[in-house]
Amino acid sequence: MINNGRTNRINIFDGVDFKTVFLYIALTIVGVLCITSASFNAGEEEFFSFAHNHTKQLMWLGVAWVVAFVVMMLDSRYFHMLSYPAYLGGILLLVAVLLFGREVNGAKAWFQFGSIRVQPVEFAKIAIALAVARMMSGYSFAINRPSNLFRLGAMLLLPLSIIVLQNDTGSGIVLGSFLFVFYREGLNKWLCIPILLVALLFIVSFLVTPTAMLISLIVIFTLSEIMMNRLWRSRVVALAAVFLGSMVLHWLLRLCGVGWEYYVSLMISSFVGVAVAAVYAFRANLRNIFVLLALYLASMIFLPTTEHIFNNILKPHQQNRILVFLGAIEDLRGQGYNVHQSKIAIGSGGLFGKGFMQGTQIKYNFVPEKHTDFIFCTVGEEWGFLGALVVLGLMCALILRLMKMGERSGEPFTRVYCYCVASILLFHTLVNVGMTIGLMPVMGIPLPFISYGGSSLIAFTIMLFIAINLDASTRTEIGHRI
Amino acid sequence: MSSRGEGLVRLRHLQFVVLFIFGAILLRLAWIQLFDSKYKDMARNNVLRHVTLYPARGEIYDRNGEFLAQSRECYDLMVVYRELPKTGFDTVRLCQMLNIPRTKLERELSSARYAPRAARRIVSYVPKETKLLLDEYKIPGFYTVYRTVRQYPRKVGGNLLGYVGEVSEQMLRRYDNYEVGDYIGLTGVEAAYEEVLKGKKGLRVEEIDAYGAVKGSYMDGAFDTIPEHGKSIVCTIDAKLQLFAEELMEGKVGAAVAIEPSTGEILMMVSSPTYDPDKLVGRERGNNYMDMLRNKRRPLYNRAVKAKYPPGSTFKLVQGLIGMQEGVLRPSQTYPCHLGYRAGRVSMKCHEHRSPADLSYAVATSCNAYFCYVFRNILENPKYGGVKNGYDVWKEYVESFGFGRDLATDFMGEGSGYVPDKEFYNKRYRGSWNALTVLSLSIGQGELGCTPLQMANLAAIIANRGYYYLPHIVRSVEGQDSLDRRFYERHYTKVDSKHFEPIVQGMWRSVHVDGTSTWARLEGLDVCGKTGTAQNPHGKDHSTFLSFAPKDNPRIAISVYVENAGFGASMALPIASLLEELYLTGEVKRQNVVDYVKSHKVYYPRYDK
Repeated sequence: MINNGRTNRINIFDGVDFKTVFLYIALTIVGVLCITSASFNAGEEEFFSFAHNHTKQLMWLGVAWVVAFVVMMLDSRYFHMLSYPAYLGGILLLVAVLLFGREVNGAKAWFQFGSIRVQPVEFAKIAIALAVARMMSGYSFAINRPSNLFRLGAMLLLPLSIIVLQNDTGSGIVLGSFLFVFYREGLNKWLCIPILLVALLFIVSFLVTPTAMLISLIVIFTLSEIMMNRLWRSRVVALAAVFLGSMVLHWLLRLCGVGWEYYVSLMISSFVGVAVAAVYAFRANLRNIFVLLALYLASMIFLPTTEHIFNNILKPHQQNRILVFLGAIEDLRGQGYNVHQSKIAIGSGGLFGKGFMQGTQIKYNFVPEKHTDFIFCTVGEEWGFLGALVVLGLMCALILRLMKMGERSGEPFTRVYCYCVASILLFHTLVNVGMTIGLMPVMGIPLPFISYGGSSLIAFTIMLFIAINLDASTRTEIGHRI
Repeated sequence: MSSRGEGLVRLRHLQFVVLFIFGAILLRLAWIQLFDSKYKDMARNNVLRHVTLYPARGEIYDRNGEFLAQSRECYDLMVVYRELPKTGFDTVRLCQMLNIPRTKLERELSSARYAPRAARRIVSYVPKETKLLLDEYKIPGFYTVYRTVRQYPRKVGGNLLGYVGEVSEQMLRRYDNYEVGDYIGLTGVEAAYEEVLKGKKGLRVEEIDAYGAVKGSYMDGAFDTIPEHGKSIVCTIDAKLQLFAEELMEGKVGAAVAIEPSTGEILMMVSSPTYDPDKLVGRERGNNYMDMLRNKRRPLYNRAVKAKYPPGSTFKLVQGLIGMQEGVLRPSQTYPCHLGYRAGRVSMKCHEHRSPADLSYAVATSCNAYFCYVFRNILENPKYGGVKNGYDVWKEYVESFGFGRDLATDFMGEGSGYVPDKEFYNKRYRGSWNALTVLSLSIGQGELGCTPLQMANLAAIIANRGYYYLPHIVRSVEGQDSLDRRFYERHYTKVDSKHFEPIVQGMWRSVHVDGTSTWARLEGLDVCGKTGTAQNPHGKDHSTFLSFAPKDNPRIAISVYVENAGFGASMALPIASLLEELYLTGEVKRQNVVDYVKSHKVYYPRYDK
């Protein structure tokens, strides 16, 4: 870095990736058009009135663009410098909202200032992304070192637990998308795959018996360990030993007249296995086994409690959402209604759609939350498959562009941050669009840049323009060096 | 950090993941937007509400332009469950307005809950006054639909006009142009002329929002159709005559049918006991209907066209005609009768009268013996070589008079009566039978069964001297120049016209000179008549009378049949005579006869036990 403490960019447009900016502007305009269509009915009072959502959104868009300029004017080094304080601030904000926030739709995740509502978690995501980038770009950081992994895990688990306490599970799960970043930064793929599998297993856990869950977990973790360390003979023996031991134990317990289920014996047997494996790992100096064992034990904490969580902690509407998504219950009048109506709206759009402001399902309120979570219905119904193709194409291009921005920068901080933004956008898009077409369970998270809501729009704008700023500064830096 | 090369590989992996995710979303979108058409139908179902506009049913007039059946405005109360106020509403008030018990409302509402977006009919037959009250009181979720129901200003012709009811499930399966909740004519004229009367339903397609509020007409009414009023029809019935006949037949079981011989138009058709057609309209319909079903006298059974009665002595007219046509009887032929007819072990009683008798006297006085001779001569005619062949010839003649088959009127549910065939007797008597075995046929007894309509048709045939027009109930249909061709064709019997005169003479003599029907005489009207007293296994004899008037250019042919009322002259005759008087002179002067008929009680132990 050359000019000590001063920005190295003379002009704020220097080195800016205009393709990204163009994609951003296009998406926000799409958003305003969709909200207009969803909230304005012909024959109502004047178009530009603050009674309408689209007018408010237009105002927020103006604010967002101003904020974007402000972000672009900041020195890129501030972001690196302020990432930990921002993280701390974000945590405090989350705690504050947990204590003093306002409950909307069952989630205590909002601050209310007059008529304006702010959702701090949107801003906390930026801080978390910055903090993750800062930690992972540290000189001594190696992602596959267990101690570093534990630090990283703790950094994510802290805000995650607060968000879950706010009952805003959807936003919390977004943090899971950081796996995307970790993979890019070299996390062993045999660690990524079991994590994905375990996540999947927990989603469907309501459909399988605990014993089957436990067996699957043991097998998954053993297999990933085999793939990691490429030593399979002894592991197969160990696996067989665990199962054999569990059966013997079960039989012995029976003999003693203890009527426990096989599940208990298997768990005890696997704990013994964990202890033996830990000793072995320590002796053989295979540190990655510790990470797997920790993950196994962590999932153990959840395992007997999944049913408990499902029955006691998840609210009835969340239970229904999951059961409806899994097809365990069909409920077109209750929880399934939203998704059903949203599929009808999108499905009736056809190839070319019904035209701007012509969507009957939207106009006549068949789709609930039509300008926030289900905004994609407007795209699908009024602009058809081609419109959806364009909008999704813009989003996909933006994500790929962010990944490219991260790749071309020499700075690990910039790269990690860009990937964080890309992964958050990807996750939001997948879940939001996926739920409107029945691919994903319903989670109340917005479609970036398009869904109605000032705090979400401004937060995503800040998040994106920090990435653009970081990219711009590294590019000019490279330019100066040459 | 991993090496540069490893990073590039991972970048490729992640790019692939991103593209895979977007690809999956697009595939799913393509499936639901481009290939799966069910969502388009569902979207249409969401937004469009098809409101049926019911047409008014065509009116029915009598031959003089009087209303027999009108359409009256009434409403169905519908409910859309999900639009009901969440906070509840005043059910007690609503029940009071509708005059229904609260339990019924609650039951209907709880079944409406299973399809909360669908409109469900809660109450039908809501009168206009209540509808206006409901409009004023306006409860969200409830709305009324315009319908029409029948009303009968004259309150006559229950079985004749028939009734209108909701289509049943079997009917829905059979006819595809009806929908649940539609009304359809179920019996009588309403059923026979359903196609004409029903009109055409209209349709209004409305756009509604998620709360069921109407947002406007779909595509500016491009798919809307206007309901078409049902066509009105003019009946051949004379309402005054019908009403009078129903009054006279009250308390008696039987039927009376009058036909205009020159056209075949049915002037009056009563099946007694009858019922007030208004009873089968409206909310009490079901209960009234069940009451009628339980009534042992079976008011819903249209005796005039369905019952099989032995024709009794009135059938002697046919016997005489066949005899003359076959050449085995000359009008001047006389036969002796001393209180009956005897041949071997078979005998047939007769009442006391002069002997010997010629044909016209035999008709006038209704001599049994005379027609036993005639019947034997027909069957035993040597040119057919055997009684059984002779019986076939006889049967063909009888059928040419319209007996033993339905007459193909425009009336539904017509019975065919019964004329036994040769095989029937072969089976019953194991092949060994002769004219004496079936002798009771000669005087219209035995296995013979005729509907009162067929008997009235016989009166019309004799009045016309040998032919008839198919009896029918409808004179004209709005917008149609003529009826079916078959109603304008003369149907000849197998007996030549010239043979009718002696029979007519006998019937005239029966009324005017020395017969059984002298009570039926009306000054200056030349009434011709024939009484009948039909024995039956159910009790007292049935009383029947067959008549037409005037003798030349007859205007009315009538048959009256009263079960278990004794001699033909004691009940059927005065009723027929009074009806002729009313129809031909426009008024009834013989109040004493009216009083006699109305006060004369007939007992029906077999119905009323």
